[in-house]
Amino acid sequence: MLFYALRRFGLALLILIVAVTVMFLMIRAVPGDPVQIMLGPRATPELQARLTAELALDQPVWKQLVIFYGNLLQGDLGIDVFSGRSVTDIVFQQLPHTLWLILGSIIWSATLGIGLGAYAAAHPNTLIDRITAAISVSFVAAPAFVVALLSLLIFAVHLQWFPAIGAGEGFWDRLNHLVLPSFAIGLSWVGYIARLVRASMLEVMGESHIRTARAFGINERRVVMVYALRIAILPVVTVIGVGMGFLLSSAVFAEIVFARPGLGKLVIDSITTRNYPIVMGSVLISTGLFVVSTALADLINAWLDPRARTAN
Amino acid sequence: MKIEWTKAPVGRRNFLKGATALGAAAALPMGLGSRAMAAEGGTLRVRSYGDLQSIDPAFSKGVIDEEIHASIYNKLIQYKPGREWDWQMDAAAMIEQGDETHIKFALRDDIGFTNGFGAMTAEDVKFSFERIVADETESPNKPDMGPLSHVEVTGEREGTIVLKEPFAPLWSIALPYITGNIVSKKAWEAAGGKATTDPLAESGPYLRDSWSPKEKTVLKRNPDWKGEAPAWDTIEILPIDDENTAEIAFEAGELDFTRVSLGSVQRYRDGVPNGGTLLEYPSLYYTWLGMNLDHPKLQNKKLRQAIQHAIDVPSVLEAAYFGAVDPSTGIIAPGLAGNRPQSLVPPQADFAKAAELLADSGETNVTLKLDTLNKTTFTTAAQVIQATLAQIGITVEVNVLESGAFWASADNEDLQLVLNRYSMTPDPYYATSWFTTEQVGHWNWERFSNEEYDQIHTSASQLTDQAKRAEMYQRAQDLMEESGAYRFLTHEATPVVHSAGVVPALRPDGLALLRYFGKA
Repeated sequence: MLFYALRRFGLALLILIVAVTVMFLMIRAVPGDPVQIMLGPRATPELQARLTAELALDQPVWKQLVIFYGNLLQGDLGIDVFSGRSVTDIVFQQLPHTLWLILGSIIWSATLGIGLGAYAAAHPNTLIDRITAAISVSFVAAPAFVVALLSLLIFAVHLQWFPAIGAGEGFWDRLNHLVLPSFAIGLSWVGYIARLVRASMLEVMGESHIRTARAFGINERRVVMVYALRIAILPVVTVIGVGMGFLLSSAVFAEIVFARPGLGKLVIDSITTRNYPIVMGSVLISTGLFVVSTALADLINAWLDPRARTAN
Repeated sequence: MKIEWTKAPVGRRNFLKGATALGAAAALPMGLGSRAMAAEGGTLRVRSYGDLQSIDPAFSKGVIDEEIHASIYNKLIQYKPGREWDWQMDAAAMIEQGDETHIKFALRDDIGFTNGFGAMTAEDVKFSFERIVADETESPNKPDMGPLSHVEVTGEREGTIVLKEPFAPLWSIALPYITGNIVSKKAWEAAGGKATTDPLAESGPYLRDSWSPKEKTVLKRNPDWKGEAPAWDTIEILPIDDENTAEIAFEAGELDFTRVSLGSVQRYRDGVPNGGTLLEYPSLYYTWLGMNLDHPKLQNKKLRQAIQHAIDVPSVLEAAYFGAVDPSTGIIAPGLAGNRPQSLVPPQADFAKAAELLADSGETNVTLKLDTLNKTTFTTAAQVIQATLAQIGITVEVNVLESGAFWASADNEDLQLVLNRYSMTPDPYYATSWFTTEQVGHWNWERFSNEEYDQIHTSASQLTDQAKRAEMYQRAQDLMEESGAYRFLTHEATPVVHSAGVVPALRPDGLALLRYFGKA
C-alpha cells in the first residue's frame, strides 16, 4: 500500500508540473501587455519599464519559467502587482470559499444521487425506476447556469428562503449562503451518481452474500441499505475524485452568478487582466487540488478494495 | 519537539458506516435561517462593479477605489450631488482662486486623522498633492494634477496651491476627484511612504471597518467626525461585476442601490420591485467607431466618409442598447463644456450619400476587419454596423477579442475598424487628451494627428473662460470628425435603482457619492 501511495503521488506531482508549465506558456502566448493593463493608460514609460523588469517580462519565456519555479521552491508565489499583497495570501484567502462550495455540491449530489440510485435499484424495471431514470437524465442535461438562475429567482427572489449573493459571515450564515450555489453545481452530478449507484447496486444485489442475507430472513430494507449500498457506493468515491476538476470549473460560474468570493472567480479576473502572479498561484493551487483529490480517490479505493492495488 | 502520530481508529467497515451516515446527514434540510436584508439596522448595502485595489490615492484605479476613498478621506472640495456638475466645500473652510495660478485655501479646524496622527493641517495638503506629482512616486494619476508646482504653507491650516500655468480642470478633476484626497503626512511617512490595501489614517465621516477581498468592504461611522453626521451607521460595498446578478440581489432585497443593465431599463420603468425607484442618468463614457488612418485600406478619405454616412446610429443603439441611450455628438458628454449640440454627420444613415462617396472614392470590393470587445453590447453593435455597411457594398468581418487582447491594440498595425469605448472624468480636457499626436501608438488607435487639435488640447485646459473653452473643444471634435476617422455613437447611460428607504446622492453621471447618501 505504501509503495502504491508513493507511486500514485509521484504521478500526481508530475501531472502538476506539466499542467502548471503548460499554463505558464499558454498565458504568455495570449496577446496583451500585462503591464499596460495593470498600470492603466496614464502610467509613465519609466514605471512601465520598471514593472516589466520586476515581473521579469523582459526576459525570455524559458528564463521566466526558471525564475517562477525557483521562487516556487522557496515557497514564494510572488506579489500581486495591483494591490501589492502576497499572492499566497490572496489565493489562500479565496480557497476556503471554493472548497466549501465544492464540498456542498458533493453533499448535494452524493445525497440525492445515492438516494435516487438506491431507490431505483431496489425497484428495478418498475415505473418508479423509469421515473428516477428520467429524473437522473434531466439533472445531467440541465445546464448548471440555468439551474442557478432558476433557483435564484425561485428561492431567493420569490420565496426569499435563501440569500442571493455573497458568502455570509459565521458558520450558519455561511452554510445558508452555500445552499443555492452548491445545489446549482451539484445537481448535474446527481444524475451521474444515481445511474452509477443503480448499476452498481444491481450488480451487488446479485452477489452471493446478498442472497445469503436474504436467506437468513434479514429485512429487505436492511439488505439494500446496509449490505448492498455500502459496497455499491464505492465507485462514487472515484467519480467524486475525478469530478473535482469539473466541480472546480463549475465553481467559476457559480461564484460569478452568486457574487461569491472564490478561487474560480479570482482566476477569471486575473486572466482577463493578465495578472500573471495571481493566475499562476491560482492555477497551481487548483491543479494541485485536482491531482491530489484524484490520487486520494485512487488511494481510498485501493484501501477499500485491495484488488485495486494489484490491478495497478 | 517530537510529534507522535496516533493511529485513527478508522477501518474500512467504520469508513463505510461513516460515509453512509454523512450522506444521510446531508439530506437534512439546512439553510432555512433568516437572511440579512438590506437597509436594516442602519446598514446601507450598495453594489460596486469591482473590488478595492488600493487605499492610496496616488495609486487608485478609479471609481471603485474612489467610492471608498471619498468616504474615509476628505478633500478640499467634493462633487455636489445633483444633475449638474458642481462642487461644494469639504475639508476647506475657504477656497478661492487668487489669480490664474494661485488658489488660496483654509482648512476646517475640526478634522483629525485616526490612529493618533493628529489634526489635518496644510502640511498634509502639501504632502498629499505634491507626492502625486513627484517623479519618485510614479503615480499613474499624476496627469490629473496637471501643472501643479507646489503648495505653499502659510499657516497651520492655511496655504496656497501654486500652478505652473493655468489649469481649468483643477476644479473639476484635480481637487474633487481622486488626487484631491488628503492623506496624513505623518502616517504615510511612518509607513515608509506606502499604503496598499489597509488605511494608515482616515479622516472622513466613515472609517473602513473591514475588507474581505472579492466579498465586501464595510464602512462604519467615524465617531470623531465633527461635520454633518452621515445618515447610515454602516455601509457595505459589495463587489458584483455582473449587472444581472446585482439586479437579482436588489429584487431579493439584499441590495439598496445598484446600477442596472440597459436591457432592464424598460422593465424597471414599468415598476421597480420592493417599492424602489429607477433613476436614469447620462454617462460620461463615449463609444465610437474608429478607423485607423495609417492602414493602407483606409487611406482614402472618401471611403472613410462613406463609412461614416452608412452607419445608422439609431439602429445600432436600438439593437445594442435597447434604445435606452441617445446618440452622441462627439467625445464630450452633455453637461460638460465643449459638448456639441449636433455632429457634422447626422446620426441617421444616408445610404445614397454614402454610396455616392464610395463611388467617388474609386474603391471597389472593400473588405474590412472590425475589432471589438467580447461583450454582447459591442458584438451586437458590430453586427448592426456590419449589416449597414453591407448595404453600400462594404464587407465587414467582425473580430471579437477578449479584454486583454483588445486593450493591447495600440501597436496593432493591422487594426482597421475598431468599436471602442473610453471612460472619462468630468472635464473635456480628459477626453481630448487621448487623441493627440503624442498618443499615437498608445491610446490614439486611429492614429489621428492634427496640429490644430493638439494646440486646442494644450491651450483650452489653461483657459478659465468657460464659453471660450467650450468653443475650442467643439472645434476639436469637428476636426476629429472631419478626418473621417470617427463615427460617434453614444455616451451610453447610467440607470440605477434604489430601495424605498434610501435617498441616493449621485454625481450627474449617476455614480455614487456614498458619504452623502440619506435615509428616506
